[in-house]
Amino acid sequence: MTPQFQFIMILGAVLLLIIIFMLLKKGKMTVKYSLLWLALAVVLVIFAVCPYVVYVLRDLLDVQMPVNLVFMLVFCFVLVVLISLSIAVSQLAEKCKRLTQENALLEKRVRELEKKL
Amino acid sequence: MNTTAKILVIIPCYNEEETIVETVERLRSACPEVDFLVINDCSTDRSAALLESHHYPYLNLPVNLGIGGGVQCGYRYARANGYDVAVQMDGDGQHDPAYLSAVVEPVLSGQYDMCIGSRFITREGFQTSFMRRVGIRFLSALIKLLCGQRVQDVTSGFRAVNAELIDYFADHYASDYPEPEAILSSTLAGYKVGEVPVIMHERQGGVSSIRTFQSAYFMIKVSLSLIIDRLSIKKTRR
Repeated sequence: MTPQFQFIMILGAVLLLIIIFMLLKKGKMTVKYSLLWLALAVVLVIFAVCPYVVYVLRDLLDVQMPVNLVFMLVFCFVLVVLISLSIAVSQLAEKCKRLTQENALLEKRVRELEKKL
Repeated sequence: MNTTAKILVIIPCYNEEETIVETVERLRSACPEVDFLVINDCSTDRSAALLESHHYPYLNLPVNLGIGGGVQCGYRYARANGYDVAVQMDGDGQHDPAYLSAVVEPVLSGQYDMCIGSRFITREGFQTSFMRRVGIRFLSALIKLLCGQRVQDVTSGFRAVNAELIDYFADHYASDYPEPEAILSSTLAGYKVGEVPVIMHERQGGVSSIRTFQSAYFMIKVSLSLIIDRLSIKKTRR
C-alpha cells in the first residue's frame, strides 16, 4: 500500500468517526446502530497504521493487490450493515403494525365509553 | 342459522364509500343474529364518516396496514371479545351474505377449522379474469405440493374460522396477500381446512387489494412466502 492510500484511509476513518459522533451527539442516531460504523472506522485505522495486517491477510487469501483486499473487506462490511438495517426495518414494521392494531382497538373502546357518558 | 355461538363478521374496508353501506345492510337483513365489525384501514374517502353516521361498529386504523394487518386486527378483536367463529367478508359487495351460513356451518359442526367460500366448485357466478384464474391455479397447486391440502379458491377472502384459529391468526397473519398463506400455515399447524361452494359477484366499486395480481411481483412474493412458511412452520397433528 502506498503512503497516499494509507493517508486516505486514515482521513476516511477520521471523517467517519466525526460524522458518527456528531450524529450521536445530536441524537439523530442511537448507540445501537452506531456500533457497526464505529467498528468500520476502527478497522480502517488499524489497516492504515499497520499495513502488516493487510499483507498477512493478502498472503492468506492470495489476493494480488492489498488495496483490492481492503476494498473487498469494506464492501463485505457494508453488506453486513445493510442486512442489519433490513432486519431492523422489518422488526420496526412488525412493531408498528402491532401498535396500530392496539391503538385501533383502544380507540373503539374509548369512542364507545364516551358515548355512554 | 340456529345457533348460540357468538359469530363475528369482519369486513375490511379501504376506500369503499360506494359499497360499504349496502354490504353491511345486506348482511344485517340476511343474518340479523350475527355481530359484525368493519375495519376502516385508514380510508382516504368518506368511508369513516359513513360508518360513524350509520352507527356501525368499526375500528379505525390510524395508519394504513393493508388487508393482512387490518383483518388481523379484526381477529384480535374477536379474541379479546370471546367470539366462537369469525368470518371474513369483503366490503365491496363481492361476497353475498346469503352464503354466510353455508360458510359458517362446517366450522360450527366441527367439520373444518377454517371453511373457505369457493367460487370454483360449482363454477357459478363471477369467475374473475383468465389471468387471475391461472395465477390462482398455480398457487393452489403449490399449496397442494407443500402441504397436501387441496384448495381451489386460494385467494377467496370469504372464510370462516373457529376460536382456535382466531387465536392463531391474532398472533400470526401475513401482511400483504395473506389469503393463500393463511391456508398453508393453518394446515401445517394441524388445522382442518375445507371449501364450500358460493356464488360471488363482481366487485361493485372501489379497487381490489390485489391490483398487482397480474404482475410477477404478486406471484413471486406469495410463492416465496409459501415456501418460507413450509420451511419455518413445524408440521403438527391435532
